[in-house]
Amino acid sequence: MDWDQFDLNPKVIAALKKADIKSIKEILNLSGADLQRLMKLSSADIQCLLKTVSHMLRRNSMLTALQLYQDKDHLTSQHQKLSLGCSVLDTLLKGGIPLVGITELAGESSAGKTQISLQLCLCVQYPYKYGGLESGAVYICTEDVFPSKRLQQLIDQQHKLRVDVPAEIIQKIKFGNSIFVEHAADLDTFHNCITKRISLLLTRGMVRLVVIDSIAALFRCEFGVSDSVMKARYLQTFGAQLHSLSTRFRTPIMCINQVTDAVSESEVAQCSSSVADNRVSPALGITWANQLLMRLMVSRISQPEQSSGVASHLTGSVRTLRVVFAPHLPPSSCYYTVKLEGVKGINTSFA
Amino acid sequence: QSKHLLAFPLVDVNGIQKKNNRRILQECHGDAARTAGGSGTTRKCTALELLEEEQAQGFIITFCSALDNILGGGVQLTKITEICGAPGVGKTQLCMQLAVDVQIPECFGGVAGEAVFIDTEGSFMVDRVVDIATACVQHCQLIAEAHQEEDHLKALETFSLESILSHIYYFRCRDYIELLAQVYLLPDFLSEHSKVRLVVVDGIAFPFRHDFEDLSLRTRLLNGLAQQLIIIAHDHKSAVILTNQMTTRIGQNQSTLVPALGESWGHAATVRLIFHWDNSQRLATLYKSPSQKESTIPYHITVSISFGMEIERWDSVKTGRVSGTTSQGCLDHVI
Repeated sequence: MDWDQFDLNPKVIAALKKADIKSIKEILNLSGADLQRLMKLSSADIQCLLKTVSHMLRRNSMLTALQLYQDKDHLTSQHQKLSLGCSVLDTLLKGGIPLVGITELAGESSAGKTQISLQLCLCVQYPYKYGGLESGAVYICTEDVFPSKRLQQLIDQQHKLRVDVPAEIIQKIKFGNSIFVEHAADLDTFHNCITKRISLLLTRGMVRLVVIDSIAALFRCEFGVSDSVMKARYLQTFGAQLHSLSTRFRTPIMCINQVTDAVSESEVAQCSSSVADNRVSPALGITWANQLLMRLMVSRISQPEQSSGVASHLTGSVRTLRVVFAPHLPPSSCYYTVKLEGVKGINTSFA
Repeated sequence: QSKHLLAFPLVDVNGIQKKNNRRILQECHGDAARTAGGSGTTRKCTALELLEEEQAQGFIITFCSALDNILGGGVQLTKITEICGAPGVGKTQLCMQLAVDVQIPECFGGVAGEAVFIDTEGSFMVDRVVDIATACVQHCQLIAEAHQEEDHLKALETFSLESILSHIYYFRCRDYIELLAQVYLLPDFLSEHSKVRLVVVDGIAFPFRHDFEDLSLRTRLLNGLAQQLIIIAHDHKSAVILTNQMTTRIGQNQSTLVPALGESWGHAATVRLIFHWDNSQRLATLYKSPSQKESTIPYHITVSISFGMEIERWDSVKTGRVSGTTSQGCLDHVI
């Protein structure tokens, strides 16, 4: 750090150099009293130093809520959302997935998690006007191989799913070319993947969506019961790294998670599942849940409910998408089906 | 300089005879009292004066009687209140609501202040704040219509969605270094914006819960931060709200959920609220408070977050509560 460019008393700059302090971080990591001792300066000088470096770091970072709301200069991404490619699902999520933050999609196997994620990988490539971000997606597989056959099927059927988009626009997008597939079967590969490879793709502006399918698989095999501290540390580190990628590049991070059977009543409550008779909760516990902006859960509807309920006339099994928590959404849910052309919400006007 | 003298044991003061020490000390005290006179950090006062002062300082009311009641009138100015809870239980919701509530005009029982919102997690959703602010304005309009008092109507002329939003000052801090820097800058900001009565840090835990190999550094930084916030709360007559995550503490027989950041952090806040789930019901427990007894209330989050209903009203509310798919406001339950 070149201290000479700071607007500081030369005496303070000399003291900084003499004390061998190299970065703003180092200064802020020390207490005022420690700095005073190290640099042999008065407390007034130290206060001034702290304020100057803080200013340097923060500059003018204040926004009023009104500025956020009006968002004239598009400084923030509060209004922009990534569409799911279906008006019913978008309505449930008030427009789609928020751009900044980690969104979790949890559910049993075959509930449709991968289907929704694949659809997002296509949706992100549409123009802004149609809910996309005009960029590609990266898909990190940690357990299964990438379902490329299904992806191809979805690409071929896009014109059926997106009737809102003119056909020539759909034809112009080369969907397959902008989906990057990564395989990461263990923690180190995964760590390397998100810190180096993904951030490279993001820096180049080639992707605006990161899908991780699934986060739980990384932790399933490697950790026993006794390693819970280690596991928590990994989860916090990954959470923080994904968070910072998402903030820096305004890129939504979609993490698929598995579910486990809830053992006790309190565990159901801990995972903030608001439906009492739901016996499963997302894996990885509260440490992971703390990293999330919003949690979605998908599930298949059990057979008897289906025959009596809304969906008896529909072919294919009906599933639900449920908002478990999100800072901007009430706990709510809707039904959807997975068809050949993709995931579609069922418009049921509830009485 | 008197401050420095005070810091040394008397025998160490160079070459000064012991019998003179007392006089020096007295002078030092006089000095310190004089220099600190304005800010009032070292002034003497009786318990009665303190009591009067504390009563004169307002509370941030939430328009929710149950929550205000367990807090003894609302969120106290000049104190630090910590909200702990599992993800999704409603910590950020209450923070956003308080950022609106702090602006309620005085004639409606508010403090007519402004709010600083420091967001470390990126969970501040302006659309949600708009919902809450709109509901708050509507609520005040209802009161004004019912009472038809002049000052109410006058206050409502300026109490609008736009003015509420323009008086929430939002800072986004992406790591703990930025947070520390922001807190160093806060005193100056608050001097410039003297109407600020609420400082929210949502959340304190997230930036401090990763990448800390050296836990003693973390503890030291957190203690320093807490100390600064206490001074800010006192000097600028603001309430400080911090949110904290929960973590699992593994006991001998069973594990329990406890607030994160460790034991010593527990001393930082004057008031500690813990939000938790009981099956599908959200509960708020006042866990630590110097003046109020420990108690628990149930609450819901509606379009306008409606905290608390007294237990007697429990059933009637339950039937009218917001279901999974609709989201009608339950303003009448708020009062």
